[in-house]
Amino acid sequence: MRKKHIKTLMLTALMTASLITGCGAGDGGSSDGKKTSSGGDDSKGVKEFTAFFATPGSEINDDNEIQQIIAEKTGVKVKETWLTGQTAEEAIGTIIAGGEYPDFIEGGGGMPQLYDAGALVALDDYIDKYPNIKEFFTEQEWDSLRQEDGHIYWIPQFSNIYGEEKACEHNDEAFWIQTRVLKWADYPEIKTMDQYFDLIEKYYEANPKMEDGTENIPYTILCEDWRYFCLENAPQFLDGYPNDGSVIVDPETLKVIDYNTTPTAVRYFKKLNEEYHKGIVDRESFTQTYDEYIAKLSSGRVLGMIDQWWDFAYTAGDAIKSAGLDKQGCSYVPLPITIDEGITNQWHNSGGVVNASSGLAITTSCDDVEAALQFVNDLLDQEIHDLRFWGVEGTDYNKNDKGEFSRTEEMRTRCADTAYKASHMCTYSYFPQWGGTSRDNINAMSPSGQASEFYDGLKGDVKECFDAYGVQTYVEMIGTSEAPGAWYPMWSYSNTITTDTDGGMAWTKMGEIKHEYLPKVVMAEDFDKGWEDYMKAYKKCKPEDFLSEMQTELDRRMEEAAKYQ
Amino acid sequence: MSGRRKKAKQVETEMKVKITWKEIKRQKVLLFWSAIIVIYGFIFYYLPLGGWLMAFQNYKPAKGLFHSEFVGMQKFIRLFSDETFIRVIRNTLAMGVINLVVTFVMAILFAILLNEIRQRRTKKVIQTISYLPHFLSWIIVTGILHDALSGSGIVNELLKSLHLTKHSVDFFAHPSYFWPIVAFANVWKETGWNAIIYLSAITAIDPSLYEAAAIDGAGRLAKIMHVTLPGIKSTIIILLLMNVGNVLNAGFEIQYLLGNGLVKSVSETIDIYVLKWGISQGDYAIGTAAGIFKSVVSILLIVIANQVAKRSGEERLY
Repeated sequence: MRKKHIKTLMLTALMTASLITGCGAGDGGSSDGKKTSSGGDDSKGVKEFTAFFATPGSEINDDNEIQQIIAEKTGVKVKETWLTGQTAEEAIGTIIAGGEYPDFIEGGGGMPQLYDAGALVALDDYIDKYPNIKEFFTEQEWDSLRQEDGHIYWIPQFSNIYGEEKACEHNDEAFWIQTRVLKWADYPEIKTMDQYFDLIEKYYEANPKMEDGTENIPYTILCEDWRYFCLENAPQFLDGYPNDGSVIVDPETLKVIDYNTTPTAVRYFKKLNEEYHKGIVDRESFTQTYDEYIAKLSSGRVLGMIDQWWDFAYTAGDAIKSAGLDKQGCSYVPLPITIDEGITNQWHNSGGVVNASSGLAITTSCDDVEAALQFVNDLLDQEIHDLRFWGVEGTDYNKNDKGEFSRTEEMRTRCADTAYKASHMCTYSYFPQWGGTSRDNINAMSPSGQASEFYDGLKGDVKECFDAYGVQTYVEMIGTSEAPGAWYPMWSYSNTITTDTDGGMAWTKMGEIKHEYLPKVVMAEDFDKGWEDYMKAYKKCKPEDFLSEMQTELDRRMEEAAKYQ
Repeated sequence: MSGRRKKAKQVETEMKVKITWKEIKRQKVLLFWSAIIVIYGFIFYYLPLGGWLMAFQNYKPAKGLFHSEFVGMQKFIRLFSDETFIRVIRNTLAMGVINLVVTFVMAILFAILLNEIRQRRTKKVIQTISYLPHFLSWIIVTGILHDALSGSGIVNELLKSLHLTKHSVDFFAHPSYFWPIVAFANVWKETGWNAIIYLSAITAIDPSLYEAAAIDGAGRLAKIMHVTLPGIKSTIIILLLMNVGNVLNAGFEIQYLLGNGLVKSVSETIDIYVLKWGISQGDYAIGTAAGIFKSVVSILLIVIANQVAKRSGEERLY
């Protein structure tokens, strides 16, 4: 009895101890980060900063090789953490409530909250001192980043083109389809939504199963949380407008139009409703999580869907390749789809579009703003930029006599490998970066923009498909057009509005209603009745408040732009 | 009953000691230790309540608690004129009550059944297995549920192979299924754990009572009805009282993780509302207001339940 007693006691003690050390380690980690971030230098004299990005991402290893090289060259290392299992706004809201910030932050949709909370350092006095940062935007673009108080607080990292644009990927939204479906139908011209679903239906009828006997899923829709754009915003594209995201802007009259209520929207959702009842639209669409969706895509079962390239290509796309499913034609290509024929589509816009609504910011918790900005400046240096996106010469890419970069097949596969990415590659992917042509005027800023490199690296089935259509890139597949006007994109404004205003309140409520009713509309036995219910609930949100606020912003942007002409 | 109460009162009066310096000196170690607890409680339980001020302000983090503008009850008014909030209260109460009743009944039932098992070994094994799910976090439990109830999950496969349904049932697409799923998950996860306390209460029952009942010709059922249940009655009531105060803590993780757009109208609880409007939308004031509402209602519930117990002469919390 006594023995047993002692045993239990020891066990309890052990468990308690493990609990305590468990917590302790976590604490130690964060206080550690804090310490180094407030000016502590480690043995090699490398300064460490912390960064939080309110977007999902994968952490790299602490002893990452390229990170180490960059640290040696710049004297700075940044420990990056990413969003897990929350929305950006939740994460940022929690950080603000806690009151302790990392040195660098990108708040995504939570950016205005950070600004409101006074958590960010105004950068405009510093910018002139750092040539690479200064060069990053034109005067007009810098001005567009000024907040209400006239200061600049964040630097948008993406879609900035150096020299000539070298876009090969369609890094945007589209109706995607597997190459096997196109191949089966002998690569037809697919231009409208009806043709698209028609093709999928026919293919599915003829091929209900994959080669290994798994059942195909003709069409699935991702609608988890903020990713429900895959269901929600297609009507704007179908009408031939670009991704203004929250409204359509009529380029002639410069008036905003609500795409939720257009006749095209009705037709689009009615089509989905029909397809749902035919069993073409995946029945799990509205309840699946993002992970389940990616798993489905990775298995190669899904014939088509609407999504943004970046939302699936680096996860499911890579998985399809490493499973060898591209040999069965399971890779996705985009199609230039509109509601009727004869409409020019604007799924793809050329030229960098600055997303003024969010970017990399430095917080008030950072004690050495100059060192932090110096690091951002260094990262834009061509040498470091190449290290970030191409890797180490000789290991990750080769350089020929003319200075052209290229990769062998082995290098390419290795760079797509997650373990290698974590231990070797360090892109500092949410720090400012260039697209387009390198300063050497030969190469692209990153491998995906290098035409030869891109084409050689294409999966077999995609290459075959491109050849059949006589195109070379994803962009050529879907066509391209210039950014439509100075206002573009309106979503960079709707992303920042908060519930403080009537318009923001309406916008939030509209989102809530759409989240609930759009799936209902698609599943409804009686579409017209379902649509009517949806419209009734939708009108209650007072969308007109939101639209008028958007109109005001549109007018403001046009006025701003006029100043520079 | 009344005799026992009288006796208790007597003891109480005898225990009353006059507070004199001598007495204080004599108890100084005890007083010292209690003071630490009181100070701890004050710092960690009462000081943070100062944050409740936020609910009456148009709180902006940049200005802080001391410089934000006071708006009186405005946030509460907005809260209660918001249809969503009313719906959220309904959901929380409904799920709270369902969970309370179901997990409560199941735990007692399970404890009694387990107690009836004669083989010690089997009993131990079952008990251990049954309380293991308690240690799983909700993210894992909801993951299992999501998989099991998905279109190609085990439940649908079973239903289809038994020819009960032709198509897969979308369990998460129908608002009417959501509360039962949540209740089921709670039962699955907590029954074994909750039963432990009843089991130990049962073991504390004097075996001679069972023997006496057996001599009087009581069978198993009669023994359960007349010995076991009355024996653990006080435990049941105390736990019930404590749980009533928890009704509004109907959960956050499970609804947050299992919910989706289609079932939003029934899945969102007060906690999710606080997260959505308080944290995500940065309106900390309205989040705090909702939190205050929840606390006040919880306290009220406990007081009422306690009074009811007192009136009917049962055990009570205070």
